[in-house]
Amino acid sequence: MRKQLPLKVSVSGVRGIVGDSLTPQLAARFAQAFGSYLGGGKVLVGQDARASGVMVKNAVFAGLLSAGCQPVEAGICPIPSFLVLTKERDTLGGISVTASHNPENWNGLKFISGEGLYLNFSQIQEFMDIYHQGEFTLIKADDHKAISAVDNPTQAHLKKLLNVLDVSAIRKRQFKVVTDCSGGAGAVLCPEFLDELGCETLWLNATADGIFPHPPEHIPENTLRLCRSVEENHADVGFVQDADADRLAIVDEKGIPLGEELTLALAVQYVLSKKPGPVVTNLSTSQAIEDLARTHDVPLIRTKIGEINVVEEIMRQRAPIGGEGNGGVILPAVHPCRDSFTAMGLTLESMAHTGKAISQLRAEIPRYFMIKDRIAGTPEEANKILRQLKIKYAKSGEISDLDGLKIDFGDLWVHIRPSNTEPIIRILAESKSERRAQRAVLRFKKEIAG
Amino acid sequence: MKLLKIGISGIRGIVGDTLTPELVMDFACAFGTYMNVQQVLLGRDTRRSGPMLRSATVSALLSTGCDVVDLSICPTPILQYLVKKLKAHGAISISAGHNDANWNALTFIDREGTYLNSYQGEAILDIYHLGRFKKVSARSLGALTEKNEYPETYFADLARFLDTEAIRKAAFRVVIDACNGGGAGFTNTFCHHLGCELVPVNNEPSGYFPHEPEPRPRNATEVATIIKITKSDIGFLLNSDVSRVSIVSENSETLSEEYTLPVVASFYLNRKPGSVITNLSTSRMIEDVAGVRDCRIIRAKVGQSPCIQEMIEEDGVMAGEGSGSVAIREFHPAYDGFLSMGLVLEMMAVKKLKISTIVRQLPKYHIKKEKICCPPVKAHSIIHEIGKLYPSRKTDVSDGIKVDWRDGWIHIRVSGTEPMIRIISESRNEKKAQERLDKATSFVKKRV
Repeated sequence: MRKQLPLKVSVSGVRGIVGDSLTPQLAARFAQAFGSYLGGGKVLVGQDARASGVMVKNAVFAGLLSAGCQPVEAGICPIPSFLVLTKERDTLGGISVTASHNPENWNGLKFISGEGLYLNFSQIQEFMDIYHQGEFTLIKADDHKAISAVDNPTQAHLKKLLNVLDVSAIRKRQFKVVTDCSGGAGAVLCPEFLDELGCETLWLNATADGIFPHPPEHIPENTLRLCRSVEENHADVGFVQDADADRLAIVDEKGIPLGEELTLALAVQYVLSKKPGPVVTNLSTSQAIEDLARTHDVPLIRTKIGEINVVEEIMRQRAPIGGEGNGGVILPAVHPCRDSFTAMGLTLESMAHTGKAISQLRAEIPRYFMIKDRIAGTPEEANKILRQLKIKYAKSGEISDLDGLKIDFGDLWVHIRPSNTEPIIRILAESKSERRAQRAVLRFKKEIAG
Repeated sequence: MKLLKIGISGIRGIVGDTLTPELVMDFACAFGTYMNVQQVLLGRDTRRSGPMLRSATVSALLSTGCDVVDLSICPTPILQYLVKKLKAHGAISISAGHNDANWNALTFIDREGTYLNSYQGEAILDIYHLGRFKKVSARSLGALTEKNEYPETYFADLARFLDTEAIRKAAFRVVIDACNGGGAGFTNTFCHHLGCELVPVNNEPSGYFPHEPEPRPRNATEVATIIKITKSDIGFLLNSDVSRVSIVSENSETLSEEYTLPVVASFYLNRKPGSVITNLSTSRMIEDVAGVRDCRIIRAKVGQSPCIQEMIEEDGVMAGEGSGSVAIREFHPAYDGFLSMGLVLEMMAVKKLKISTIVRQLPKYHIKKEKICCPPVKAHSIIHEIGKLYPSRKTDVSDGIKVDWRDGWIHIRVSGTEPMIRIISESRNEKKAQERLDKATSFVKKRV
């Protein structure tokens, strides 16, 4: 089996391990390539809370300056705030210094267009071609620009959130909320945001110091402290943001974690009740969303995995809402990107409008059990196995090969696909019966292992 | 021709050509790896490419685990002084001194505040060539702090070192042309401490150089004019990192940069006699000045690193070169334009003499200089060959070739900072100086 390499260049940018693959030189080359791709102009530079952000950011400055760009520093900034800012400011694009949910010793670069969107597949191809050709713009000394900075980089985002949300309805309820910012960039905006919503707040890991108290992935084991705090303090709801604040997990008023699939389901349920329209999500997201769409008699469109794929389809469909089952809620009225603040706002607004507790809202969502597992395997091996499985199961269920292989058996679906970032094959199964889902995962694991 | 000079204590090149962010990072990583230290100070001059080099250097140093204290725009001698004062472990200065605006450079400074010596420089070059830099994990990365209050300490100490009372009493009016370089603005602090009235020329830290940032007569016309209008006592020109100074007298005579060292020495050696270190290319004036005071002259290779190194090893009291650079060991082992200006002002105040009178007391030589563009690959063989011109004379080949006559000398060498061959000819007899220069120049030009 191929080991996980310490560097990954993919459609979602560059990620590597600091002190190993992610060197200043590498970051500067990518930034210079991006500056060459943009052809100069203002480029926003933001970072998540990781301590290595200073090192990487300065390398990015050097690369951008050499390519004739004018770096505009946004500092530590939640990723949705950064995306909004890139669109609102007169900039040609942005680089976010972040490794998203990877462990603390990782960092990376994400590349953003002037519309505040991640580069799409064809844009990233074009940009990577420039990187690989290695012929970067290199301007003369006299043409060097200065570095400037943005005060209050989260304000544009906050303004949009407060415009879209029913602030007065939420304020009236004076919710008591416990939030775990995971030591990430969310901490920069979250206190101000919840304060505007009139919430009484309690905090866990709310310093953006980049010291992650728990692995920044949303899994129930990482929410134990939060669950206890919600219960002990009799809070109305608990929230966990991931390290760059694009994804959210929710804990109900009894201190029970809902599981990250529920974040989008709750948001979809609420938004469709106010404004029906198509819903867009990826192939791996819960069947519950499909049921909700059917109830509201709106189409559900599934895309390949990858945030930009969902975002582009949302824009094409003019969908009022979409997102991913990993806790990534996308409300284009705020900005077409995954946004934990939007997710929080919608959850609170839903509680305010319906007068229901979060556990009651959760009870209205069809109950499914999703089992996620993985098995070692390179994309090449995965491809071979998926071909065989496709033939074998052609008649036993509805098949989609849009991204990996998804087989819908009616009351059970299984999705098998190679990971974009690691040499593993992901296996997901979902059913109303937990045992059925578990058994399906085991069976396919065995089949893949041969 | 690609212009990049890898010297003993740093690298120097044209931005947008050879001096790329990656190259800067590689060398800064090599420095961080070699020094293997905690705290490195960082300063730069006002060049427009400064922020790029600064960002690249910061990133590289942090990646090797060094903590970086960024002093932003800071003249090199102040940075050198602060290394010791703040007990830092080294420094990098981002400035190409006297080179044009499109150049920039990294200069590496060790914990003593001196330019790295040739052994240290070679070790760094080895690490650079090997390309194996120290890398630390995310939790061990260095931290960056930004400070700009430290230069005040330097000026306070400088004022204590000088006879500030005498200077204050004299209440000089001083014209300083900082060429909008690293010294811009610091000149105000300098004059404030010494109670001088500053007539500032090109004193904006914009990095736009109105003339070459090289202190020498041909760049001094503006200062000469302003001295006349303002009836000032003296004028100074600085290079962009304030390591070099040239003087303009109160009657607007634009003095060669060769005068700075002998002027300072003729005063300082009275106070503290001892050996003076200079290079092979520097005017004989310093030999005469030292000679009458029974002080020894030691000739070293051209450049701050070899001259300062020699001063420390030979226990000299001062060092300096004909480029307008002077270091006083007692204060700190670095070429320091502020200190040079301070001592000249002190001399005028204490001796109650005009600068023109001081200069008139020095022996009169005629010095002629020429520089010829030459690719570095050719330069060394040309210099080797040129010995043929002087078959009957004893030659010194420790740095290029130097030939002495009773009335003067000629020195032909490869520049340490540019792809040039420099020829300097000096004699008490102006005609002889010119003839010798012309002869050598035509020899070199034929072979380039």
